[in-house]
Amino acid sequence: MSQTDFHYQKKELPANLTKFSLVVLAIGVVLSLIAFFVDRERALFSYLVTYMMIVSIAVGSLFIVALEYIAGADWSTPIRRIPEFFSRLLPLLFILVIPLLVFNHDLFHWAHKEAVAEDKILQGKAPYLNITFFVIRTFVFIGLWSLFYWVLIRNSRKQDTTKDQNLTTKNIRLSAIFILVFAISITFTAIDFMMSLEPHWFSTIYGVYFFSGIVVAALAAITLAVIMLKERGYFSPWMTDDHLFSLGALIFAFINFWAYIAFSQYLLIWYADLPEETFWFLTRWNGNWAYLSILLIIVQFLVPYFALLTQPSKKDPKRLKFISIWLLFAHFIDLFWLIMPNMNSMKDGYVFSWIDFVFPIAGVGLIILVFIISYKKDNLLPIGDPKLKRGMDFHL
Amino acid sequence: MNNDKNLYCIAATFNTPDEIINAAKKVSGAGYTHFDVNTPYPVHGMDDAMKLKPSKLGFVTLVMGLAGASIALLFMYWSLSIDYPLVIGGKPYFALPAFIPVTFEMTVLLATVSTVVAMIMLFFQLPNNKHPLHDTKYMKSVSHDKYGILIETNDDKFDEKEVENFLKNLKPLNIEYIYYPPEETYSIFQPKFLLLLAGIALVVSGGTYFSLNKLMFMTPFNWMMDQAKLIPQKGSELFEDGFGMRKPVTGTVARGFVPYPYKGQVNPTEVLANPFLPTKENIALGKAKYDIYCSPCHGYFADGDSRLRGQFPNPPTLHSQRARDFSDGMFYHIITNGQNIMPSYESQITRDERWAIVNYIRVLQRAKNASDADLTEMNKEAGSNVAN
Amino acid sequence: MNIDYSQETPLIAGRLDLAQIEELIAQPMDTKPDRKYYIALSISVTALLIGAVSLGLTFYYGIGLWGNNQPVGWAFEIVNFVFWVGIGHAGTLISAILFLLRQKWRTGIARFAEAMTIFAVMCAGIFPAIHTGRPWMDGYLLPYPNQHGLWVNFTSPLLWDVFAVTTYFTVSLVFWYVGLIPDFGSMRDRTTSKIKKTIYSIFSLGWRHSNRHWSHYEKAYMLLAGFATPLVLSVHTIVSFDFAVSIIPGWHTTIFPPYFVAGAIFSGFAMVVTVLIFVRKIFDLQNIITIDHLEKMNKVILSTGMMVGYAYSMEFFIAWYSGVQAESFLFLSRAFGPYAWAYWIMVSCNVLIPQLFWFRKIRRSIPLMLIIVIFVNVGMWFERFVITVTSLNRDFLPSSWAYFTPTMYDIGLLIGSFGFFFTLVILFTKSLPVVSISEVKAVADGAQPTHHGGAYHE
Repeated sequence: MSQTDFHYQKKELPANLTKFSLVVLAIGVVLSLIAFFVDRERALFSYLVTYMMIVSIAVGSLFIVALEYIAGADWSTPIRRIPEFFSRLLPLLFILVIPLLVFNHDLFHWAHKEAVAEDKILQGKAPYLNITFFVIRTFVFIGLWSLFYWVLIRNSRKQDTTKDQNLTTKNIRLSAIFILVFAISITFTAIDFMMSLEPHWFSTIYGVYFFSGIVVAALAAITLAVIMLKERGYFSPWMTDDHLFSLGALIFAFINFWAYIAFSQYLLIWYADLPEETFWFLTRWNGNWAYLSILLIIVQFLVPYFALLTQPSKKDPKRLKFISIWLLFAHFIDLFWLIMPNMNSMKDGYVFSWIDFVFPIAGVGLIILVFIISYKKDNLLPIGDPKLKRGMDFHL
Repeated sequence: MNNDKNLYCIAATFNTPDEIINAAKKVSGAGYTHFDVNTPYPVHGMDDAMKLKPSKLGFVTLVMGLAGASIALLFMYWSLSIDYPLVIGGKPYFALPAFIPVTFEMTVLLATVSTVVAMIMLFFQLPNNKHPLHDTKYMKSVSHDKYGILIETNDDKFDEKEVENFLKNLKPLNIEYIYYPPEETYSIFQPKFLLLLAGIALVVSGGTYFSLNKLMFMTPFNWMMDQAKLIPQKGSELFEDGFGMRKPVTGTVARGFVPYPYKGQVNPTEVLANPFLPTKENIALGKAKYDIYCSPCHGYFADGDSRLRGQFPNPPTLHSQRARDFSDGMFYHIITNGQNIMPSYESQITRDERWAIVNYIRVLQRAKNASDADLTEMNKEAGSNVAN
Repeated sequence: MNIDYSQETPLIAGRLDLAQIEELIAQPMDTKPDRKYYIALSISVTALLIGAVSLGLTFYYGIGLWGNNQPVGWAFEIVNFVFWVGIGHAGTLISAILFLLRQKWRTGIARFAEAMTIFAVMCAGIFPAIHTGRPWMDGYLLPYPNQHGLWVNFTSPLLWDVFAVTTYFTVSLVFWYVGLIPDFGSMRDRTTSKIKKTIYSIFSLGWRHSNRHWSHYEKAYMLLAGFATPLVLSVHTIVSFDFAVSIIPGWHTTIFPPYFVAGAIFSGFAMVVTVLIFVRKIFDLQNIITIDHLEKMNKVILSTGMMVGYAYSMEFFIAWYSGVQAESFLFLSRAFGPYAWAYWIMVSCNVLIPQLFWFRKIRRSIPLMLIIVIFVNVGMWFERFVITVTSLNRDFLPSSWAYFTPTMYDIGLLIGSFGFFFTLVILFTKSLPVVSISEVKAVADGAQPTHHGGAYHE
């Protein structure tokens, strides 16, 4: 069939989806508030995991948008709105981050004045690890993300009506700058919110490690949304196996990249065996954390690797959908593994608590809700984009 | 010869990729199976037009990749944990993280090389430079800028007239009949060929001999061994006295050295008294040292039964009356000073150990020359019920 | 500038047809070399001979001839090794990763880049082999049952190197040859010389351009690309392990693997651009290796240059952040110590100068691009120098600090490796098709059915 006479007609999302997301969000928020009053420290650590998950999906999505612009890819143009929708979460981070900043004393060891006074190493780090600078950094990064979100997405939406090709040129330039900002900001976000939970530990690859996880999570979220919409006919009739294959192949590439980065970090620290580095892994080998460490390899690498190894499996919508959900879960476990063992009370092993499960509920509700709101305001396809037709006609 | 028998196929060439896709669809649609399309590069959608099954090459890769990984891992496990276990850098014998790089490389190596070999040898049946298509006008045009299709004579549906008409209906540039090349006959027993074989055999065996028996043992240089340096036990021109090893300055005394004043005397026994009691520990020490230093000549039980098989004269037994009458000091003196052809053991055995050996010799002598009285005494000690 | 994004930029300029493409690519092999060719060849062979003499003397007198000292036990030869392995990364990257990403512009440059990979790995392989001191004993690097009953140390990154480099060389060679088979077939069918025909026939293995073969061939190419991609990453990763598994400050840092890979791509692309600028001019391939291709490569250079810059800054930041005295001292010593000159050459060539590629005009200007990529080549050599030498020259014991100065043999070997590389490149340009004939034909105008991929819709 030919797409020359393709006319986009907006198809609304089912109404009960909004209800569903509101209910989930409400339940999640109520439970989260209860959790905060029951055990504030635990709740904060748990909240941090979900917060980083939302950061991953939001910033990662904007990164995917920017990547499409600078790589000049055409296959992803018709589905570019999906990551654009997810990146609407970015301005919300201004609010979401507040609990972490207010209760920083519960989270960060370096925020304890009396601890720093006794610790030479922490004193050395004080010019970087202090509350003022920390808050400034956090807001600057969120501000920059929101700014780039705002201009990139505004240009993209404007194109729907004007069909002005110069907007693409503008966005390509903006994307190049954004990717620079992105590299620096996520590195320091990772250091600030996760690495500094254990302020004595350091690893130069940490930012890259977080990046690899971010991309997997964002791609998984996008793929999940694409397939859910495709199943309900939102992307017919033009979407082919080749679009799915491209998504599947990207996911496959990035889970390999994650494994590569994770292995590099582990091997180098294990091999050199310096006490100032190994203790971080040893903490994650204490008690039942060891099971989680092994589980992480299986969940984030081995299972998706073999599930997506062959060519047909990369374009099988059912499998891709399953793997997308699986990988979102895997990235959650990854963040959990990075963050939770830093809690003083859990250094010797994981202690079960219902608190860990309430924040993801709120997070899921929030993400779906934001997606719905974005969808209502926007066209599902970037109808003014000059690459749209090429993207729809895309074949391997 | 019959022309039909020689015919390999009928081929048609086309000018554009669209035409060839169309032709391939028609030919496969008409039920021909032994046909082929020749294009200067892979044309998209041709596999479907020809109704080809997806390539099975991936299985070769998968199997060989897994084989590479397991061979590498097993070999590293066997060599470093079983055959020659060695602690390296405080890591366990089976240091899995450190084995991953080599495992990965072997996986890639085996998988890729065998994929390519399998593709060429099994799937393509190449090298084959004798195929009837070679050197035909058809081949030259399809490897250049034309697109060709051919139907082979061994197709079940092949009929010369029908195929020609079929292809003509596709409106090709031209149609070509391709024949099998005339068979060439070869004879192995040609003198030139045999000579060549002999030559190759000579070169290969000579080369093998040279590299395995000569080349492997050649060293380009030996500077490290030939450098100007002192070698123990060897003469040297560096010193006036011509000795490579230096003597200590006259009057040098080793640390802990106690002079032995009776060196060279025959019987200084009166003044030498054994300072050690024959305790269990002392005798154990004596036995250990005796077994090392004395037993090769004197035998484990001092019978004078040397283990040297006549390479050195056997000493007399130490159980003779004369030896039993030696004082402790006499034994000590003999070990220190040497006697007859027995050399001095002063430098090998410390003073305390020498006395311990003496104590042990006494034990041996006592054990080998037990009397009946000893037996009764022993029985008494062990309890009277064993006596009878 | 006004670009029409709704159209793909044509991969081949000048609307060449299939016959013209083949003619253009086969031209260098059908004509006798001219004077310029011999001049170029004699220059590179001279460089090669300088290297050969240095190598011969090194064999004869031993590696004491080099400037290596205590504590700088690794110097020029390791720097050269890492440099050449890095150069060797562009080829497989272009042929494998860009293939998987379906960047069709790779077709014009892939063959040449792959050849450069193979030659660069050959150059690289020489250095660790001679660095063992007694190269005739290098057989012990391989695990074979020997009379000592010993096995190689599989936990040593130096041994991983042996496996990585040999595997990389083999796979690159196989990949390259697989790509060459159809071209040998085409060359066989167009040549008129009998000797050439015999040679091409042997190497073409009797290729018949049959679609029953193409079908497997494309699958195999995909599989090879799928394996070559992680292989490329693994090779420079393992090279980085040589340094990073130790506990030397400046070497032991976890970012080394991706940082080395980015640096390798960076330097490899710079070298490919350097050579391609000349090749497309001399052999009149401007229509096949277009300015668009070069611009894209310059973009890759820009982005990998930034990755390298990111790694430099991360190392610096974490050295301070870690609070480990030796680490912070070393990084200060790098930037302001005795080798500060090398450090600042590295930073300016690798991070600052490539920033000029932000401007489209510069990305598309041949002379400026040439200057920048040569700076990048220099900078990347110095990067390895900085990593290797400055980490060693001031180690934990201040009493053993020493300054490394190369001797003429070190420099001779470096010159020789360039001579070796360029001699092979120059010979290659006249003996094999420098651009893949079949791949370029496949992306020419009108080379694919108009109903592109129509088969998927039936």
